[in-house]
Amino acid sequence: MDRRLFLKASVGVVAGALLVPKWIPAWAQGGLEGEDVAKLEPALQKVLGKGFKDLVPSDSVKLTMPTIAESGANVPFEIAVNLPKEQVKAIHLFVDKNPSPHVVKVETGQAMPAYASRTRMAETSAVRAVVETQDGKLLMASSSTRVTVGGCG
Amino acid sequence: MAIRVLARITPPKPKAGDVFKLQVVAQHPMEPGTRKDEQGNLIPAHYIDQVDVYFEGQKVSAILPEPGVSANPLFGLEFQAGQAGTFNIKLKDNKGDTGEASVKLELA
Repeated sequence: MDRRLFLKASVGVVAGALLVPKWIPAWAQGGLEGEDVAKLEPALQKVLGKGFKDLVPSDSVKLTMPTIAESGANVPFEIAVNLPKEQVKAIHLFVDKNPSPHVVKVETGQAMPAYASRTRMAETSAVRAVVETQDGKLLMASSSTRVTVGGCG
Repeated sequence: MAIRVLARITPPKPKAGDVFKLQVVAQHPMEPGTRKDEQGNLIPAHYIDQVDVYFEGQKVSAILPEPGVSANPLFGLEFQAGQAGTFNIKLKDNKGDTGEASVKLELA
């Protein structure tokens, strides 16, 4: 192969590589590491009776997670909801790639709409905080945590 | 066997109207039901599935954990201080074991 041909060929390869992102579905663009909506969907249906498309990403929900967790057995998280407590019915946490993605439901009642606890994570995954409001809306905040050693097996 | 439970309020003496944390720690293996022992048998699930929080006898909040919660779990809630009183926390796991803790809320 002479150099001219090689250069032409490599231009083709580079152009191809640049085109690849267009083939990724829209939801995955700028998506979270370890996102797995297909696995999350049945859990959402079971717990909330709603699918992933019914969840509204919202700025009033804040989910704080570490970006890297050394052990998946014990990953701290904090959920804070910037809404009056009368409007919030329940707070849920889902971990996309866990064997059972639904981790906890908190019926806040008289408490402020906030929750802090620790979860297990089987592997690197996206994490969702879902807030049920009294008027039936589902607000969501997502985050992603990289797990070095899984905590479910 | 009763579950050992500790409850704590931070800051210990909040002012009326302030938001304070109620933290509950339980001693529990929280087996998720997905792990195997040395012989390769599945360890059956054993986890706390209900935490009820009462204030002066009134149920104010409930937490329903699933197997995905860590061992020796911490449950952190936030309340707004209104009047002094006592929090009672009652836990139950899926094998029927129970645990209880109480903590007094004193206002500054």
